[in-house]
Amino acid sequence: MSDTALRLAGVRKAFSGVPVLHGLDFALKKGEVLGVTGENGAGKSTLMNIIGGVLRMDAGTMTLFDEPYAPCSPAQATAKGIAFIHQELNLFTNLTVAENMFIDGFPTNRFGAIDHKKITSIAQQAIDRFSLPVTPATKVADLSTGIRQMVEISKALLKNARIIIFDEPTTSLSSREKNALFHTIGELQQRGISMIYISHILEDIFRLCDRITVLRDGRIAGTSPAAEISENELIKRMVGRELSQIFPSIEKTISDTVLLEARHLKWRQRVKDVSLKLRAGEIVGLYGLMGAGRTELAKVLFGVEQRDAGELILNHRLMAQVSPSACIGGNAAFITEDRRSEGLLMSKPVDDNLCLVKSADLTNRLGVVNVVERARHNREAIKDLQIRVVDPATQLVSSLSGGNQQKVVFGKWVMKDPKIFLLDEPTRGVDVGARFEIYSIIMDLAKRGSAVLFISSELQELMGVCDRILVMQEGRLTGEVPKAEFDQEKLLEMALPGPALT
Amino acid sequence: MHNPSSDCQRKVWSIFREMPILPLLIVSFLGAIAGVPYFCTVGNLRNYLLQSSDLLIISCGLTFVVLNGGIDFSITSILTLGSVAGAYVMALSPLAATPALSIPVAIAVMMGIGLLVGMVNGLAVTQLKMPSFVATLATQLVVGGLAVQFTSMVSATSSIAGLPEVFFVLGGEGRFFFVPILIAVAVWLFSWWLLERTLFGQWVYAIGVNPKASFISGLPVKRTIVGLMVLSGVCAGLASVIATARNGVGMSSLGDKMFLTTIASVIVGGTNTSGGHGGVMHTLLGVLFITLLNNALNLLGVGWYTMMIVLGGLILLSAMSTHLLNSRAGWTWKKGQASDV
Repeated sequence: MSDTALRLAGVRKAFSGVPVLHGLDFALKKGEVLGVTGENGAGKSTLMNIIGGVLRMDAGTMTLFDEPYAPCSPAQATAKGIAFIHQELNLFTNLTVAENMFIDGFPTNRFGAIDHKKITSIAQQAIDRFSLPVTPATKVADLSTGIRQMVEISKALLKNARIIIFDEPTTSLSSREKNALFHTIGELQQRGISMIYISHILEDIFRLCDRITVLRDGRIAGTSPAAEISENELIKRMVGRELSQIFPSIEKTISDTVLLEARHLKWRQRVKDVSLKLRAGEIVGLYGLMGAGRTELAKVLFGVEQRDAGELILNHRLMAQVSPSACIGGNAAFITEDRRSEGLLMSKPVDDNLCLVKSADLTNRLGVVNVVERARHNREAIKDLQIRVVDPATQLVSSLSGGNQQKVVFGKWVMKDPKIFLLDEPTRGVDVGARFEIYSIIMDLAKRGSAVLFISSELQELMGVCDRILVMQEGRLTGEVPKAEFDQEKLLEMALPGPALT
Repeated sequence: MHNPSSDCQRKVWSIFREMPILPLLIVSFLGAIAGVPYFCTVGNLRNYLLQSSDLLIISCGLTFVVLNGGIDFSITSILTLGSVAGAYVMALSPLAATPALSIPVAIAVMMGIGLLVGMVNGLAVTQLKMPSFVATLATQLVVGGLAVQFTSMVSATSSIAGLPEVFFVLGGEGRFFFVPILIAVAVWLFSWWLLERTLFGQWVYAIGVNPKASFISGLPVKRTIVGLMVLSGVCAGLASVIATARNGVGMSSLGDKMFLTTIASVIVGGTNTSGGHGGVMHTLLGVLFITLLNNALNLLGVGWYTMMIVLGGLILLSAMSTHLLNSRAGWTWKKGQASDV
């Protein structure tokens, strides 16, 4: 018996002739938490899909607890004790917690009917193990993301998982939920379960993992014990070069012209009496925990959701009716948090996405789009934003990396030359190298006189980019901090709900 | 490394990938010439084009709706009500004595019915937030029922005869066979132009792929949906004119077989039912293929019910092929699954 839980040797994988993994050697020790990180497109997902039985490797061998392992389907991987906690959770929101735990094989009674008693009692045990605040009969739709994740982990343990793979598990968690997750991971480790923890967030990886493996361009760029490597060293491995600075610095001036003003905005119970001003050239951060109402505020500002009360002034004009098209007319742009479902036409080429907003300006009276002008604008945007695409007319947006997809979203708006930008988590799912470019784009917009509202859950990037930071908590703005007074702990404290603030 | 022959191959392959119906159409056409008696005669080929023309018109309209991720069941009822209402105007109404007046009024009534029903469909989908299949199923039943009721009120049989001779020109009577073909080509060109060259066409595709992103990008989602439902209705109204003129009578059963062939033309042509992919080029090929099949099987003496089985099977096959061709990842995944069993 070796101390290795899972070993991969010479694993290769190509998609339609393009190699994605170039012969990986990789080992997960028993009972360890192994961090796996790397830029988008480095091959992390492909590697994990091979381990999870979703994809099959072209060459190489895998050994699981000293036995050869070659899963043909996710079900086989599960049977061998490998569980996968996906970035997008795989629970059925219309079913209960207990039903979800047994979705792939309900225990039945003598008559072949589902044995609800047994399901409930087993589910209750699983829930008790982490003392989750739910009952087996709770509908998953009613649970927060953090609790849903715990349900998934409980489900994995019910299947006797020996190895659990976490794929970007914290992207939609509040910091409290994140702490709970990390605590659970610690408990799992004590029980001897081996874990692979995939993340972009280096801070988390350092906090959690015993060893860290970096993937770059389908190769292992190094594996080191977490204690023996610095964050800079790790970033260098990820991008293959040294990042002299994580945030760009650009000289810009903030004018007194207020481009966006909101007065006493209210929407359902999510946005409670919010007033704010954005000035030309200013980047204003909006920080808060998940569920604080930041995304909702942005949606109300852009008319995606109709406000219940309050006034909105765009470009000195009081908006009678707020709708996306009215806001676009008022020179505003909205980059949504979820670019796949709200930002892009994923199954369409880059060109079709870039010109989506601008085309209306390139049209004659008959409604005919000037294709020459459109192509020119598209080419300009691709050049300006350095979007890496080979043939924008045919290449689908879905084939681009996260960073390039986000640049297409920026391009779609920048082409229209708006003066007000609402950015909701613009760097989500964007790797370290491309983040710098996104920050540069944002800084450049402000330099050219735009007002920017920058929503993020990552304090570091807000502190690196913004001129002041607003803090939102349970639908209210609870604080405003100018650049000179940025302090991580102070900001976090403002964001956390507490008795003193209510 | 640049290899012109492989470049050319790639281009051909990409056309086939985009329109798998094209090789199928060519092969079946050659097959029909070789194997079906009387297929390759002037009379039959003319008939073939005539049969294609009203189907092309109605299918162009439906293509817009399907591109948007919707469906329009009401087109067959528009066809029917248009047919009997138009025939009534031309044969039984007080206007019947003056064809110079009755024909334009009849045409206006037929297309007006399409416009009205399309408008109701569009408003039901956008304002009442009904799924298009529910809204248009409701209008299909109401309008179809109206057509039968109306016919039974004004005529002893299920059809209304006695239309003016001049009207049959629109159906391609005698040496005027080119008239409906030209109308169909004009409708097709107009649809192509709308989809490929205008902002409206760009909106149809964008909303078909992702209505939410389209709304946030400031696109007039509701207006576009109403517009394309109206377009579908008006096309059905125009098809009603042509089909009525070809049959020579107004029939309350005109639409019965039309729905299956229309939906088959659009889907077998390759327009994706989940929206955003395909177009009227696909639909043209689909129409030519379905009519060819209809025509050839007819010549071979195969009945309508066999045709139904064939069409149903084709719809299934083409849906599968679009799915497989569009997602290579899906394909490899399926292979993995298959070997698992």
